Amino acid sequence: MVSGVAAVAATRLLSAALALPGLAAGVAATVAPTFVHAETAPETGTIDFKYLYYHDYQPGGSRMRISAPSLHLLLPISATWALEGTLVVDAISGASPLYHDTLSGASKLGVNDLRKAGDLKLMRYFDRAAVGFGFAYSTEHDYVSRTLSTDARVSTPDNNTTFALGVGHSSDDIDSVNRVARGKSKRTTDWMIGVTQVLTPSDIVQSNITYSSGSGYYDDPYKAVDIRPGSREQTAWLTRWNHHLPSLDATLRLSARYYRDTFGIRAATLGAEWVQSYGAWSLTPSFRYYTQSAADFYHGPPFPIGFAFGKPYSADQRLSAFGAITPGIKLARSFTGGWHVDVKAEYYEQRNDWRRLVDAGDGGKGSADLKPVKAQFYQFGIGKDF
Amino acid sequence: MIAFRHSFKAMACVAEIQLYANDMGAAARACKAAQREVERIEAKYSRYRDDSVTTAINRGAGIAPVAIDTETSALLDYADACWEQSEGLFDITSGVLRRVWDWKRGEPPTPSLIESGVANIGWQRVRRESLTIRLDRGMEIDFGGIGKEYAADKAAAVLSQSGISYGLVNLGGDIRAVGAHPGGKPWKIGITHPRDTTRTIAHLSLADAGLATSGDYERFFVHRGKRYCHVLNPKTGWPADGPQSVSVVAPLCIVAGSCATIAMLREEGAADYLREQGYPYLLIDREGNASGTLAK
Repeated sequence: MVSGVAAVAATRLLSAALALPGLAAGVAATVAPTFVHAETAPETGTIDFKYLYYHDYQPGGSRMRISAPSLHLLLPISATWALEGTLVVDAISGASPLYHDTLSGASKLGVNDLRKAGDLKLMRYFDRAAVGFGFAYSTEHDYVSRTLSTDARVSTPDNNTTFALGVGHSSDDIDSVNRVARGKSKRTTDWMIGVTQVLTPSDIVQSNITYSSGSGYYDDPYKAVDIRPGSREQTAWLTRWNHHLPSLDATLRLSARYYRDTFGIRAATLGAEWVQSYGAWSLTPSFRYYTQSAADFYHGPPFPIGFAFGKPYSADQRLSAFGAITPGIKLARSFTGGWHVDVKAEYYEQRNDWRRLVDAGDGGKGSADLKPVKAQFYQFGIGKDF
Repeated sequence: MIAFRHSFKAMACVAEIQLYANDMGAAARACKAAQREVERIEAKYSRYRDDSVTTAINRGAGIAPVAIDTETSALLDYADACWEQSEGLFDITSGVLRRVWDWKRGEPPTPSLIESGVANIGWQRVRRESLTIRLDRGMEIDFGGIGKEYAADKAAAVLSQSGISYGLVNLGGDIRAVGAHPGGKPWKIGITHPRDTTRTIAHLSLADAGLATSGDYERFFVHRGKRYCHVLNPKTGWPADGPQSVSVVAPLCIVAGSCATIAMLREEGAADYLREQGYPYLLIDREGNASGTLAK
């Protein structure tokens, strides 16, 4: 804190310096606002514990609850190396979600599962570049997934533009408990290319394209009839814009994403967040709209409309045409000593007649006769920088 | 818009100017003009040159008042403000100690030699009229503590006058930024690690401001396990024995530099002094621990 006497002392030196010939012009009144940290490698470690509670429901339908504690650790090793890891345990209880009203009886499997997932990423920082190597592992009792990835980013000498490139490969093994899928597997390769551009001190725009190509087992073994193509290519284009408003001490984050895949799904996401700071507090209301067209082989009720032997078929509601909104709010508070705490609540509602925007040559309508899906998420987090 | 980088030797260091301009000609003209300004200040105030203002003032010590111009008078006013604000720790008459301390010899001078040096220090004994200065016999002044920082500010002012909106002047670590990079991203500056000068200890961002670092590693020797650095206390004649390094960001490089030097001389009181100034700072204490608003 600057005491009254000290402020005068500082002014004394500065005003004496400003009396020097030719130095008064173009001198910033204060240096603090233009001054920010730009460390290459993180200098402080972070440990975060989060607890997520998820609960979804459909009118008259079954429910699923997930409670997921997670631990995230960021550990600087030296000025140029850092290690980052996450550990998540999802305890899922309740019945499997209702994917399709008319097939709800087919989804009999009571789920009482534990999903364990972890990832580890090693990052090496250079003067204007960084390279990361990651390994991720996730397992449920009927599913094991492993991913190896690497990514690199390079900035221009003025640091205004950053290019990023990433590639990853996943290998999934599926052994469903109902013995429909035995020794099945799936291999996926992902590519990402992106650019981040600083436009003004208050505006940053980021755009990236991801492409993923996979082959193997995509069916849902817990559905009575679910036959999907043996390969899938997915392309997504995401653009984000962060705009900082210094006068309000707030940041507006906007995002838009377009997605298409070889299942025939076209999807769009529009998101907005307003991060309002009040000293150590911040309040972030957010809103997201998602919409998609149906997969080519999605067929609504009743079975067997649209079903033909040897052709892909699915009645999975997640492959239908719908729209969904997610309003949310997050409250965060930081404390001295590097502690921070946040609580977040989100509500999700999905309806087939909320489909908009994406044109898949199918008339742009939502799939018929499906009941809305609603869900709530609550998350509590506590962490410390060290 | 093109990026342009120009290096030259001046003031016993490598000077570097980076800037953006619309074309190569404008960039080169602005760099040359800034370089000429640095060379002008060096020629005018170097104590190693026979024809410099500093040499003229020192030659008149004990003889007669020496006439000075308004620029020199303003610099002396600034030095006076530093002396007053630091309660005598920042004293531009302390240069006589450089003859007492021989950094190549590698051992401290005898106490009597140091005392004889301290006897010739004392800004309060300098007699000044508005455009004259008179030193007592045996005294001398030098602008070593502020000249390079002043030159960085003046070179930056020349860049601005040449129409440059995005530029950086670095005179051996005394830095002044004109604006930021085009697009507003600040200049990124590494701070030298005081115990491993091949590495940086921190990076920070600078826009429209000055940055200076004072450290115990520029010139020093170690004698019987103790480090003796070139930042000398004018009251005792002995080197400062406090922080390893202090970096300050201020609106002007000259202010950043004086604050950093005064903090070094405050030794244990460095952190308190820097907090009072209210400018962003990075303090590496005697044990090598980083603190300050830039340390986080």
